[in-house]
Amino acid sequence: MAANGSSPEQSGRRHKVEGPKKHIVAFVFSILLTFIAFATVIGGEINKDFIYIILLGTAVLQVFVQMAFWMHMKDRGHRFAIIGILSGVFIVFTCVIMAEYWVWW
Amino acid sequence: MAHAHAHGHAVKRYSGIMDWLTTVDHKKIGILYLIAGGFFFLVGGLEAILIRVQLWQPQNDFVSANTYNELITMHGTTMIFLAAMPLLFALMNAVIPLQIGARDVAFPFVNSLGFWTFLFGGLLLNVSWIVGSVPDAGWTSYAPLAGTTYSGNHGVDYYVLGLQIAGIGTLIGGINFLVTIINMRAPGMTFMRMPMFTWAAFITSALILFAFPALTVGLAALMFDRLFGANFFDPSAGGNAVLWEHIFWIFGHPEVYILILPAFGIISEVISTFSRKRLFGYSSMVFATILIGFLGFMVWAHHMFTTGLGPIANALFSIATMLIAVPTGIKIFNWLFTMWGGSIKFTAANLYAVGFIPTFVMGGVTGVMLAAAPADFQYHDSYFVVAHFHYVIVGGLVLGIFAGLHYWWPKMFGRVLNETLGKLTFWMFFIGFHLTFFVQHFLGLMGMPRRIWQYLDGLGFNEMNMISTVGAIMMGIGTIMFLINVAASFAKPKTAAFDPWEDGRTLEWTIPSPAPEYNFAQTPLVRGYDAYWKEKMEGRSGMTPAEPIGPIHMPSPSILPFCMGLGLFIAGFGFMYAPDWGHFLGTPLTMGHMIGIVGLLITFTSMLLRSVIDDHGFHIEEAEILKDMGGKA
Repeated sequence: MAANGSSPEQSGRRHKVEGPKKHIVAFVFSILLTFIAFATVIGGEINKDFIYIILLGTAVLQVFVQMAFWMHMKDRGHRFAIIGILSGVFIVFTCVIMAEYWVWW
Repeated sequence: MAHAHAHGHAVKRYSGIMDWLTTVDHKKIGILYLIAGGFFFLVGGLEAILIRVQLWQPQNDFVSANTYNELITMHGTTMIFLAAMPLLFALMNAVIPLQIGARDVAFPFVNSLGFWTFLFGGLLLNVSWIVGSVPDAGWTSYAPLAGTTYSGNHGVDYYVLGLQIAGIGTLIGGINFLVTIINMRAPGMTFMRMPMFTWAAFITSALILFAFPALTVGLAALMFDRLFGANFFDPSAGGNAVLWEHIFWIFGHPEVYILILPAFGIISEVISTFSRKRLFGYSSMVFATILIGFLGFMVWAHHMFTTGLGPIANALFSIATMLIAVPTGIKIFNWLFTMWGGSIKFTAANLYAVGFIPTFVMGGVTGVMLAAAPADFQYHDSYFVVAHFHYVIVGGLVLGIFAGLHYWWPKMFGRVLNETLGKLTFWMFFIGFHLTFFVQHFLGLMGMPRRIWQYLDGLGFNEMNMISTVGAIMMGIGTIMFLINVAASFAKPKTAAFDPWEDGRTLEWTIPSPAPEYNFAQTPLVRGYDAYWKEKMEGRSGMTPAEPIGPIHMPSPSILPFCMGLGLFIAGFGFMYAPDWGHFLGTPLTMGHMIGIVGLLITFTSMLLRSVIDDHGFHIEEAEILKDMGGKA
């Protein structure tokens, strides 16, 4: 709640009220993904390669859910959020590449 | 919609100590940061004096070797995390919303939470002095030394958990300022019209957002190593000790830019105001700030030249480090050109700012010297390095903070600091600073290693160490003189004018000193860079309002952020001692676990309450605003 929180009518921007449904779905989905990853590792005698595939798959899906729903990347008017995330990704990638090819080559 | 609910909604307003514990007003939170940061600055300063007393003569035994290790560790950690950063947050909180024409930060509740988590993290770290097991592995806490094998007591646990909790506060503070600067600017305040301090705070906040998670991860890994027997950093069990250095410095190098960029911003404001000139090369200043921020992430391995990265890595990181001198040089020249031809007023604030420039250049030059990898093999872990980073941190950041405090003191407290005493303080501190650290360059070149407890007679170190100690005591006296100035200013009534320096250029000088709770009775319309100066030059006495006078929506105060911070403090303390104290009533849980769980319960209950209580805030009505305006005009 911003201090000079103008109501949607005042700011002239139309804001569609979504309700919590999408958030609950996304929340359940991300918990489920975490549980699957955890269960695969805990759950005893499974082929290691298979575990890697499951872990990678759930991780990619998890990133997607987090970015799209929680980081609002699916919504309009979130240009700054996207710029911020992309610049973060850019810096992290540069750091990883530096560490990988400069430090441990 | 929130308006309809909040009108006529009686809000609980506190007074006295409860007002300070519950406040979500950025100006009051700024003052809280100033008090807490100032307190830790005194603690860290006292530790510094004790270090210098130990070193004033060869083979002194004023403190034991172990206490000395504790002193240097806590001095570094306290000054960086608990003094420098909060003092910057104090100025950012006090000034940024005023500079961009906003009524508060974007998330006032989160702002308060950031302060309380920082404070409780800092207190947890310093509780270690009381219980007698103090962190002693250096402020960098390098891995094999910080592991349980070599640091068996709870000292490093205090470091890990204290910094982790304080780090939460810093991280959410940074996010808050990013959102505030993006979303809360007054009409007409485009990015390229923002004051330089706001720009610096913006870039610093972005650096906090990207750098602090690395520290969080590193501390979490070290915590697992220490408390739960993991072996991230234990080579004998397949871990990697150098990994800690990488993680720490991927955080740690951006951290030094997090510290210095706001100081650059302060200096830009002060020099421009007291030269009565527009900041020279504003857009190149913005560009240079962004470039420094970006390059700051690309140079961490220059702290590790001697760990054996190989010639290629050393050469590349060497070049990347030297590159930073380019945007920094742009800034230095821009400040000089701002002063060139200006009608300069040497107020106390401006003395600090002008003193900053040559001092910081000296720190920068030794920085480039250290960046040359082959030469660094000679300088490494010597007093040369100590001299270098104190030149950039004390000579850069602390002088910047003092400049900012003198400059914005009237806006924060409604009283101007005594100019004569301020100038005397500057000379005492400035001369003391150079006495302390200039000779340390030569001590380093002569071979005195850093972090040593004693040195032998006859090595030629004696005189310079004596000079250094005298200088440190002068800096201590300077700090006490500043405190006297502060105390004296509070004996005077709040009579500061809106624009006490008469040459104010930015929006904070268009409103009363101190600013009213709602900052701007009417949001101003910004028509250019240096918005207030532009209006002055066109013959107007104030800003054109962008809205009629009307009720102003305010966030309600809340005690919950304090409770969340307190809970984390108790939890950290409890879990740390989990292995030591006996079991709780025969359960598998120990006393430490129980205390930890109580702490977490306090935090999570507060979070739950925050989620379920629907808080619409309240309104300050038109009548009250008109009364304020009439009374002050």
